[in-house]
Amino acid sequence: MGKRSVLFGVVGALAAVSAASAGGSATPGVTAKQILIGGTTPLSGPASAYAAVAKGADAYFKYVNDHGGVFGRSIKYKYVDDAYDPSQTIQKVRDLVQNDKVFAIYNTLGTEQNLAVRSYLNQLKVPQLLVASGASTWGSDYKKYPWTIGYQPSYKGEATLYGRYIAKAKPRARIGVLYQNDDYGKELVAGLQRGLGKKAKLIVSKQGYDVTDTDVKSQIARLKSKRANTLMVFATPKFAIQSYSSARVLGWHPLVFVNVVASASNTMTIASLASSKRQTEGSISLAFLKDPINPRWTNDKAVKLFRTILKKYNGGEGLTDYYNIYGMSSAFTLVDALKHAGKSPTRAGIMRAVTHLNEQNNPFVLPGIVVRTTSTDHFPIAQARLQRYHNGHWVYFGPLVRVG
Amino acid sequence: MSRVVRIAAGLVAAAAAVALVLVLPHWLSDARAAEFARAGCFFIAILGLNLLTGYTGQISLGHGALMAVGAYTTAILTANHGFRDLWTIPLAGLVAMGAGFLLGLPARRLSGLYLALATFAFAVAMPALLKRFSGLTGGSQGINLFDKALTRSTGALGPVHVLGRTVATNDFLYYLTWGTGLVLAAAAWVLVRGRVGRAFRAVRDSEVAAASSGINTGFYKMLAFGISGFYAGVGGSLFVLVSNWFVSPTTFAFDKSLLLVVGGVVGGLGSLAGMALGALFIQFVPSWAGNVSNAPGAPSVFFGAAIVLVMILLPSGLGGVLRKLTEPLTTRL
Repeated sequence: MGKRSVLFGVVGALAAVSAASAGGSATPGVTAKQILIGGTTPLSGPASAYAAVAKGADAYFKYVNDHGGVFGRSIKYKYVDDAYDPSQTIQKVRDLVQNDKVFAIYNTLGTEQNLAVRSYLNQLKVPQLLVASGASTWGSDYKKYPWTIGYQPSYKGEATLYGRYIAKAKPRARIGVLYQNDDYGKELVAGLQRGLGKKAKLIVSKQGYDVTDTDVKSQIARLKSKRANTLMVFATPKFAIQSYSSARVLGWHPLVFVNVVASASNTMTIASLASSKRQTEGSISLAFLKDPINPRWTNDKAVKLFRTILKKYNGGEGLTDYYNIYGMSSAFTLVDALKHAGKSPTRAGIMRAVTHLNEQNNPFVLPGIVVRTTSTDHFPIAQARLQRYHNGHWVYFGPLVRVG
Repeated sequence: MSRVVRIAAGLVAAAAAVALVLVLPHWLSDARAAEFARAGCFFIAILGLNLLTGYTGQISLGHGALMAVGAYTTAILTANHGFRDLWTIPLAGLVAMGAGFLLGLPARRLSGLYLALATFAFAVAMPALLKRFSGLTGGSQGINLFDKALTRSTGALGPVHVLGRTVATNDFLYYLTWGTGLVLAAAAWVLVRGRVGRAFRAVRDSEVAAASSGINTGFYKMLAFGISGFYAGVGGSLFVLVSNWFVSPTTFAFDKSLLLVVGGVVGGLGSLAGMALGALFIQFVPSWAGNVSNAPGAPSVFFGAAIVLVMILLPSGLGGVLRKLTEPLTTRL
């Protein structure tokens, strides 16, 4: 016991010294040398394709750290696996907050997963930053949950755009909807109905699947049997790929709208291989980031930087992965906010910074997009372009539009 | 005289068990304490299964579903009716007891494998039922008390203050589950030594003989199902707390029911102390099997092999070994 108390004394003294050198700030996770942030991501499980969202961000932080960090502090991003299971998210986030004492939770992936810990983080006043989910609640419920903010365009706004497009361009469509049976999928369905407006009766069938299901064969067969000619895929990547291959097996060739978090080029490439080129040709989706395999961006400065960073800090993996560039874009915004939070960042300070963004220079988003928030607008990215899949690539059509 | 000695030995064993449960967290990390707390929930459910299968001879492959009834009782009462999570634990036991009586109805007519199949159907149907009544149960997303009733979830926001002491959340959950488990084990011990226990054993050994000595076999079978359901309900209720105050239909897929039977058999049905070992077995061996190799399917093979090994080497289960080890002691006394 004597040994122990000596040890505690030493640790305590060290902690006191480091706190003093940090300018007397007692902000958890912030020392003179480092800012510790944490988050969960599905490194395994049904949505493991999204692991690159954390890896891309981590690679970008390492790049920033090697270039001086933020006010001399390096950013340490501890991301842990939750297998896309909200129960595990709770456990891991509690661990990050209570035992690792992180400054903030950042970039945690998934709608259900973030909903699961939102009350907790707000109760303890721990920032829940740049949530990797497009549920509109992150941006619209900031009065109730002032410590939470999202990042990407809202799912509701996204699906509204598809609805409007169909109402205008395909007024005779027979729409079949495949959706993930949770808050994420349901929000997309609601957005579609809003966008269709009076034409909402064009929807002939809606089929939900659970994320724990093994496949979506029966849902796709039911949609086909309702003689739908337009298929909305509101899913996560694994199930989006299955939708294409199941439709092909049934000899069904609808026009496919695939939502943005399942339409990354790398996912579409796999979908084409799993079905056929004909099956994916003409699919429609939305874009707000530069797609690393789009030939249009091959010589773009930001995409070149993206490749350099991945080669140096991610073992050269994920050079074609859209989710890596998502992670980098998000990390860029966090670094930007940390700079605005000042030399002695506090939790309240970082919240002020992320709710007053005006980022015209984020290199990873499409040209023209401004990552912007105000005290009453908590949607950082709210612009995007429609795109169509053609010859193995996404091709933009139409102008930059507001997603809301 | 020997009866007094046996009871004394039992008390000593019980005191040792209590002492062990009390001091164990000192050597456990936070994460390990959480795993032991989960094992505590299994312990309680297996105690119930043991009363039913070990003492009354009725096979149930549906105990995971009874746990689900207890778990959802806790989740619904806490999320929607303003209860504090701890107060719902006995209520969850009572609701699951009701479900246990109902599950016992077919036992009046069916026996052996046919009864096993009927209860198995209950286990298989449970996740689908939970999804069907989504207004009450939250459907496939389940119920998240950590979000919906954070301040009524004990320990969710940080350490728990008990009797002037501060206890880390996972240590608290560990004490809660194993404390409850020991109390219920003592209750089971008293029960099986009394009139009801004798009737249970009579039904197990021969229904015809039991009926001819005036035992209402149908009643005692249902009673066994009901009491067993109470235990499963309490275990399920606590399982919500140790699963981060979260429950969904996949928490109680039918494999949980089979796992409980494995725990009971490995622990040695008919032995109360063995049940704790059975619970630890089903909590830790599957994750140990996952560490040996994570090739597709490999963990299940290792887990299966471990069960087979236990059954070959220790046909009376881990509890049987315990008894053999302690028997010379108690007889010499």
